[in-house]
This record gives sequence, C-alpha cells and structure tokens, in this order.
Amino acid sequence: MSVLQRHNVHVSGSGSQAMVFAHGFGCDQNMWRFIVPAFADHYRIVLFDHVGAGGSDLSAYDPEKYATLDGYTADVIELCRELGIRDGVFVGHSVSAMIGVLVARRAPELFAELVLIGPSPRYIDDEDYVGGFSEGQIHELLEFLDSNHMGWSQAMAPVIMGNPERPELGEELTNSFCRTDPEIAKRFARATFLSDNRTDLAKVGTRSLILQCSEDVIAPPCVGEYVHRAIPGSEFVLLNATGHCPNLSAPEETIAAMKAFL
Amino acid sequence: MPQDVEDLKDLFENAPCGYISVEPAGRIIKANQTFAAWMGYEGNQLVGRRFQDLLSIAGKIYYETHFAPLLRMQGFFNEVALELLCANGSRLSVLVNAVERRDDAGRVRFIRITIFNASDRRRYEQQLLEARRAAEQASAELRELNLTLEARIEKAVQERMTAEDALRQAQKMEAVGQLTGGIAHDFNNLLAGITGSLELLRRRVAQGRLSELERYIVAAQGASKRAATLTHRLLAFSRRQALDPKPTDMNGLVAGMEDLIRRTMGPAVVVEVVAASGLWTTLVDANQLENALLNLCINARDAMPDGGKLMIETGNRWLDERTARDRDLPPGQYASLCVSDTGTGMPPEVIERAFDPFFTTKPIGKGTGLGLSMIYGFARQSGGQVRIYSELGRGTTMCLYLPRHFGEAEAAEAAEAARGIEAPRAEQGETVLVVDDEPTVRMLVTEVLEELGYRAIEAAAGPEGLRILQSNARIDLLITDVGLPGGMNGRQLAEAGQAVRPGLKVLFITGYAENAVISHGHLEPGMHMLTKPFAMDALASRIKRIITGG
Repeated sequence: MSVLQRHNVHVSGSGSQAMVFAHGFGCDQNMWRFIVPAFADHYRIVLFDHVGAGGSDLSAYDPEKYATLDGYTADVIELCRELGIRDGVFVGHSVSAMIGVLVARRAPELFAELVLIGPSPRYIDDEDYVGGFSEGQIHELLEFLDSNHMGWSQAMAPVIMGNPERPELGEELTNSFCRTDPEIAKRFARATFLSDNRTDLAKVGTRSLILQCSEDVIAPPCVGEYVHRAIPGSEFVLLNATGHCPNLSAPEETIAAMKAFL
Repeated sequence: MPQDVEDLKDLFENAPCGYISVEPAGRIIKANQTFAAWMGYEGNQLVGRRFQDLLSIAGKIYYETHFAPLLRMQGFFNEVALELLCANGSRLSVLVNAVERRDDAGRVRFIRITIFNASDRRRYEQQLLEARRAAEQASAELRELNLTLEARIEKAVQERMTAEDALRQAQKMEAVGQLTGGIAHDFNNLLAGITGSLELLRRRVAQGRLSELERYIVAAQGASKRAATLTHRLLAFSRRQALDPKPTDMNGLVAGMEDLIRRTMGPAVVVEVVAASGLWTTLVDANQLENALLNLCINARDAMPDGGKLMIETGNRWLDERTARDRDLPPGQYASLCVSDTGTGMPPEVIERAFDPFFTTKPIGKGTGLGLSMIYGFARQSGGQVRIYSELGRGTTMCLYLPRHFGEAEAAEAAEAARGIEAPRAEQGETVLVVDDEPTVRMLVTEVLEELGYRAIEAAAGPEGLRILQSNARIDLLITDVGLPGGMNGRQLAEAGQAVRPGLKVLFITGYAENAVISHGHLEPGMHMLTKPFAMDALASRIKRIITGG
C-alpha cells in the first residue's frame, strides 16, 4: 500500500503552494471541513489521516513506531515528499501542531509557514512550566483508558472490536466523523499526553502562527503564550473562540487569523 | 400556573433522566431537578458552570478532543459513556446524548444534553466484559490444552512405540535365547558323540584293536551329519542357507518321498497323492523341498491325532496381477505343492502367527516352532510363497508356490553322492588351488586332493590366491571359501581369476552362501558350490566331475 493510501490522502484545490492540514488526537481530516473551502481557490489542499484514525490503514499501525510523536513526524515527512511538497503551509491542530514543529526541524524545506492551532509542547506541569494538567491527572487519564473504552457503551465495544468486518456497528454507536480505533486511541493518548517537545521550539526556523482559544482545557492560553515565546519570530493570536477546536466552533475567526498571517 | 404548564414542568424536572441546556461554549443555562439531585447540587448551583467541568479528567479530555468536535460536525452525539464528578466527590457513570438547537439563521442557540444514569448498566457491562474475558481465557486455555494434547499424545505414542520396540527386542532375545539354548544342548550332545567316538578311536588304535574302529567312525559320522542338518535348518530359518536350486520335477520328488511319508504317517492316516499331469518344472533346491514336504506332512499328521486323510497335490497356477499382488508375488506361472489334512484346523490368530519363528501350538518338546518359518524362509528365498487355508474342525491346506522354470528337470545330484561311488583318481599333474583362511579346512581339502592324486597349492587369503592365479602355475580348479580375509572375498577372487584365466573352473565351499556373494544361488557358468560340512567323498567326486567337465 502506498503512503498516500496508508494515510487516506486527499488532494484538492487549485494553487501551486501546498497547504497540508494535520488533525489532532480524537479526530480525523473531517475536522477541517469548515476551513478548507476558504483556501481551496489559492492552495493545493492536502488532507490526510494519521495511521489509526479515520480512513487510514489500521494494519499499518505499529505500536513501537507510534509510541512517540517521532513516528507520526516521519509519516508526515514521507507523505509530503511523496507529494513533492516544498515551501508549503502546514496547518496542525493540537498534537499535530507539535508534529509540525518536529517536521519543520527535520525537513525545513517542506514548509515555509506553520499554523499551530492549540499547540502544547508539554501537557503536564513541570516546576514553573504550566501545562494545564498535573502528572496525577494524566496518569488518571491513561489508567482510565487502560480499563475503559471511552466514548461508547462498554458492552458494545467488544462487539465492535470483535466485528472488524462490520465497522458500521461502531459507526452507528459513535459517529460518522472522527472514527478512531479505541485501542489505537489509547496509545495515541499516551504518545500525546506524555510528550515533551519544549526544547524543539527554539530550533524552529520556519515562520509560525500560534492560534490560541480563550478557554481551552487541553491547551490553556498560558501554554500558547509559552510556545509563542519559545519559537523565534512567531506570531500569536488569541481567539475569542472557546474550547479546543476553533476550526470547528469558530471557523470564520480561524480563517481570518490564518489569512492575516499568510 | 396552568395545569398543562405545571404538567410539563413536572415532566422536565422529574424525568427519569437528567436534562440540561448549555450555551454553545458549554455553560449550563438550565438543569432539571433529577440531574441536580444526582449531582448533589441545588438546581441553580449548576447554572453558569461548564458541562465539561463536571466530568472526570479522562471524560473532560475526551469530551474536548472527541465529542465536542463530533457535536459540532454532525449536530448531535448519542450514547457517549462518560463519568461525572458529584458534589460529594463520588463518580456517576452516565450515558450522554447531545443535540444542537439552532435558530432560523442556523446559529446554535443552545445545546440540549440528556443524561442517563448508567450505574447499573455499567455494572452489567463490567460483569459482561469479565465473563467475556473469562470465556476468552478459558478458550485460550482450551486451545493451549489442545495444542499440548497433540504433543502429549504424540509423546505417549512415541513412548508406546519405544516400549513395543523394546518388547519386540526382548521377545527376539528370548527367542534367540531359547534357540541358542536348544541348539547348544543339541550340539553338545552331537559333539559328545563325535569327540567321544574320536577319543575311543584313538584308544582302540593305541590298543591295536583295529577291528572295533568301524562302529566309532560310523557313530562320529552320524553325529556330524545330524549337526550338519541342524545348522542347515537354522540357516533355512534365517533365509541364509546356501540353496542349490536345480530345475526340479516336483511330481518325481513327491513320488520319491511317498513311501517315506506313508511310513511316517502311520496306519491311521490315509495318504493320497494327486500329481498333475504336465506339471511345470520349478527351479528349486530339491533337498530343501523334500524337507519342506516332510515337515508339512508331519504337521498334518500332528493335526490328526485320531487319524484322517492326507492329500498331497501338485498343480500349475497362473497368478494374474491381482492374485499375485494378493500373495505378494510377481505375476506369472507357478507350480504348486499342496498338503491337506482333515485335522483340527487353525483359528485365524494362529494362522496369522503360524510362520513366526518359534511359534508353535505343540506341547513343549514336541516342536521347535521353526518348521513353518523354515518352510516360509525357503519358499521366499526360492522366489515363491506359502499360503495357509484352514477351517477349524475341518482341516488345513498348506500350499507352496514355486516359480515355473523353463527347461528340463535334472536328475537329482544328491543320488550320486548317496550312491557312494568310488572317488575317481586324478590324471597326471592335475593341480588344484585351495584358498581358505581356516587351516583345518585347507588341510582336509588338501589331503583329500592328494589322496586322489591331485597336486594342491594352498593360499590363506584372496590376494595371495590371486597372485598364484596370475602366475604361470598350472591350475585346473580353484577351490575357495566365500568369506575370506584380506579385502577380497571368494567371489571377487574367482572373477579376478577368470579374468586372467578364462574358463577357470571354480568350486566355492562355504558355511553359508551370502546372497550378495552368490547372487541368490544362481552361479555363473564354470562356478560351482559345495556347502560345509561336506562328506570327503562328495568333495572328491565333485572335484573330479568339475575338472573333467562333467
């Protein structure tokens, strides 16, 4: 299976500069549905799913490779090179904002601009650093995930898990968007919430925009400000939007901020 | 308050599920009494708080990363399992539905969230999951058991086979023990007769009582002959006897034996011989065939303790592909020799083991259990087969099948030796090369030769014999043992000799003829065979006949 099939890559739009959208933990490329139309006329739009999410090839999921963000970073680099991308725009949400930072460090030629929506280099508080979660809280999350199937009735989860040939069972109970394999989601949660990429920020040489929501449980404003301070020359916009997904809850405001930056 | 409004209020406040309305960003506008009671708050204490702030940490993270985006994208979500933190710190398992309510312009006015208490259900689910895990574990253990079961069975079978092998080996050793014990006993008796006679012979010679020598000589010869017969039997049983197959007319052979058989059977048994006319000639060792026939007749007699009828019948048989396969023979033409009795018959389990060495139904001391196995060995070695047809209480037929030989039968050679003709004297200068590693044998043969007037040259090994053959010395006959030391057996020596002296006449003398060496008893032209032990007269007449081309 090609890397494009593996990541359920969809390329659209009319423009020479590529704009690659990377979804975060808990969702898939559907989360960009309100943003993409605003850029389709001027950019070559690239949508994809991380392995384990959406329409990706679940059989490509390698627990070792994806135990840290490095595996996801390698995937983004691989698929961008496959598409011949240079000097594009990377739009990453949540954990994918940090994946974008890692990509910019390892393959700086791919992107000329980074748009980081709700980024967090570290979710757990650490001395003076405020990540938004205590270590105990993150461990509670991970322990909870180890013994529970989040999101839908637990009794049905084994039915869904035991019937891979009937994915509609899972979809009926959950949703038609943001499909995630619960086992993979658990591991993705571990890779995400235990990550610490603070030292990578200072080494980013790519022009960057940080979009921060006013009230965000996952990545509080102080984290966004930390990222802004750490990435040399970055721009910072505090949105009126609340929550963690301004691209869904406040697409117009998000689009406007992006356009102003680009 | 109008009745219906009050009714609706009751329906909202006291519904069996929690109802809350939240503004698009999540702040609670309104919560019903049921939900407030579950959470341990007064209704108005909840207003203004964010719904996601009521969730456990895992629920909060999942809500923000999974369900809030989902609600925004599809306008609703259903049956999302979450955990709420109550005022008193306890946790409440709930299933949550949410739906966006929009105004005419499509803007989200508020979100209606319905909360079902799922404590019981979650408990059932937990039990269900545990039952499922237990079932999976049991099934895994069963699979494991199955796998090891196969291995265990294999091991048990292996052990069983090893044990059976050991048992067979033990039975074989027991049989060999019985055999060697019996043979040692018989041989000791015979040796006692021979050595005793020789001892007395020496004394009488010393005493000058020469007139009494004859009886000791006869006694020693008799014992020696019986010893020779015994070893023949053993070799036949092991199918290593040196057969001397000759084209044989079985009718003639049976006729020659008839009188002996009648006397052996006794008066209570009627003997009838049915000789097929035009019976095919077979290539077989006539002496062994006589032995076999006698053996079968004695078995038949023993099966008829109260007398009966013995029938000896010869015949021609065509074995087609199927019949031949059935009898484990190549298809083709066979001459048969059948011996039938009207005796007790054999049950199938006896038939099945009848040819096993040492298997006997006779009382101890009455049979060795070697007779039929010997016959079987002889028949197989002769390219034939033995079959048993038996019915309990009616009788038994034993049939020997021997392959047809295309050619005329020869007169029995044994008769010649038996006649004890005067050994012919050698012509002038006739020379015989004697090769044998056993000095006694060499000495005896040499003495016989010299007595007959032949010149004898001796060699103890193959290479030594070959050097003589390659010299200019006159050699009229090569007499050689088959098993020789020095890396060259008798057969190889004979062939090498014939290579330098085409037409060289060869007489093998051997204790037993290894099949590989003598090629199943079929000798090349000019090659002859004499098995040890042999009478000196037989050796002498054989030598003369070979040299003179007889």
